[in-house]
Amino acid sequence: MCNDKSLVCKNTILEGDIRIGNGTVVHIDASIIAKNGPIIIGTNNIISDRVKIVNNHTTPLVIGDNNQIETDAVIEGRGIGHKNVVQVRGKVIGTSTLGNNCVVGVMCETDPSENVPDNTILFGNPQSRRTRSDNNAEYMEVHNKHLQYVHEMLPRYNAIIGAE
Amino acid sequence: MSSELDSGSQLGVLYYCPCSGCMRTTDAPVKDSKQKREFAELAEEECRAPLDISTQKQLAVLRTWPIEKLYYCDDCSEVRCPHCVIEEPAGYHCPNCTFDVPTASVRSEKNSCARNCFHCPVCTHVLVVVVVESTQGDGGQSCSVLSCAVCMWDSREIGWEFETSTGISAQIERMRAGGPAVKEYASLLDYWRTVQRTASATAVGSHGLTSSASFKHRLTSAGLHGNTTSVDSLPPYKAACYVDSGAELTEDFKALEDANIIPFNGDPRTKEPQRVRLHMKLSRRCRMCHHILIKPESKAHNSRFKIQLLAANFLPTITFPNFLPASKARGSLLEHLNTTPLRVGSTAPVVLRFANPLYTEMDVSVDVGELDAAQTDVLAPRFTLPPFAELWEYDEDEDDSSLASPSASSSGRDSVKRGIIHQHGNQIAIQLDVTPRAQTQKLTIPLCITCTHLDDMAEMDTSDTSTPRRIVNTFWAYVSLGTVN
Repeated sequence: MCNDKSLVCKNTILEGDIRIGNGTVVHIDASIIAKNGPIIIGTNNIISDRVKIVNNHTTPLVIGDNNQIETDAVIEGRGIGHKNVVQVRGKVIGTSTLGNNCVVGVMCETDPSENVPDNTILFGNPQSRRTRSDNNAEYMEVHNKHLQYVHEMLPRYNAIIGAE
Repeated sequence: MSSELDSGSQLGVLYYCPCSGCMRTTDAPVKDSKQKREFAELAEEECRAPLDISTQKQLAVLRTWPIEKLYYCDDCSEVRCPHCVIEEPAGYHCPNCTFDVPTASVRSEKNSCARNCFHCPVCTHVLVVVVVESTQGDGGQSCSVLSCAVCMWDSREIGWEFETSTGISAQIERMRAGGPAVKEYASLLDYWRTVQRTASATAVGSHGLTSSASFKHRLTSAGLHGNTTSVDSLPPYKAACYVDSGAELTEDFKALEDANIIPFNGDPRTKEPQRVRLHMKLSRRCRMCHHILIKPESKAHNSRFKIQLLAANFLPTITFPNFLPASKARGSLLEHLNTTPLRVGSTAPVVLRFANPLYTEMDVSVDVGELDAAQTDVLAPRFTLPPFAELWEYDEDEDDSSLASPSASSSGRDSVKRGIIHQHGNQIAIQLDVTPRAQTQKLTIPLCITCTHLDDMAEMDTSDTSTPRRIVNTFWAYVSLGTVN
């Protein structure tokens, strides 16, 4: 478990009331814009480059722990749970929420307003969904290694905002 | 978008391959003289008679090809289309692991990859072998499973866990070996092998063939000959696992119907991953003389060709140039061509560009087939295409435009060059004046093109000291000009 302070690159766009938990990494060019309401990001998340997290609602947008949000993804819903993966260009749109252990596949999106239940996998084109049958046991091992690596390497090559 | 650009997207040139001998040359090798006479008659008939587009349109569509799809047999000196070539496999490989499968293993592995290549039963993506913790036995033992990266499907869902991460196929075979379906298949195979042995033992004249067609032939011939150990005397097949009566179903029969091995059907939990099918690399031969036209490298990762005889390397390529550099005399840099919309009654200039792929000069003559829908005048019916050479040899462009006023030169030169819009390197652009007579969605003009060139390969043949032979190729090209308003 990574208990370091969070790592936020300088070339990101941060606006509004944002709280980022310990260990979370925010890569370059990400934008976290709390337009109408606050954004609360949990611990040990990996938010990749060009991700857009926008809160258009007045209620807080809550992102849980140990999520991995890959490049160019969009999170505009009301929040996501823990241990989810939003893959490259995946979208959580409208007022949707993601449960825990979900995977939003590459270029897949949730419906505009649905609460995606736990363990759901959105995949394919045309998009379909299924429920995963494993308990996502192998996720944490890889995720922690990823976090460790990023915490080690990212500050060497990118300017980091000092954590308050 | 203007209408000119819309009709521009419909411009195209298709080459016609009659596959009946109409594209024969003057002296191509023929198997026998009778065939040669027949072909010569057909050739004269079709090339002389005007091609009636409206009646033969449906057939012609099957026989017209863009030049990229045509091959050329340099032995017969003729064009070959994909219909008149013989295809044969030149190598088998797995598209996933790019492993070259030797031909002997292809049949034994039923045209599938024998290694770890499987399709996910849910999303048909290719599965990956992953080492995980085993759920069976004591926890903590690692095993290999097949998993899909797209839909997160796991082979643990159907209970497949493997000890090693290689040779998954072999482990699956072992798992299935005890099942009723496999036993039934094995006993069926034994039975029919005995039948085949009996039939071949009684057949007259052994051909040594093993195809199913010859097997049936031998069965029937054995019956006709009425030998003592005929096929009929063999006992009928008895099911090894399944009861023969239709009403009763045994446990084993139910297992067969479980859709366990039928793919992409029913409940995903009972689907099994399918092995990845092998891909073939094909080589193509001329149907007449069996000369190899296309021969790819047999290795999977190598996409080159050992032999590549394409029509584009022997016949002139006809294209519609969008613009050409205008002559220096006229001053402007670029001239837009082929933009005049076609209207009934008005004459529109159409520019076609011929490119010579050969290293020798090529004489081209263009004749128009009869067409009711339009009248076409070819302003430059005969011209010579210079050979293809490196660009530095072209010191000056020779721009002769028939549209510009004739320069101070002899009238003889004018009459030859009239109709030639532009000449650069190995390409000549000629002008056709098209006067449509009726409205159509797609105006297509047939052109009969004859190209003649000297065979430079003959000069290398030391025994042949006579003059190098001339090769004449005649073919029809359909030029689509788009909509006529």
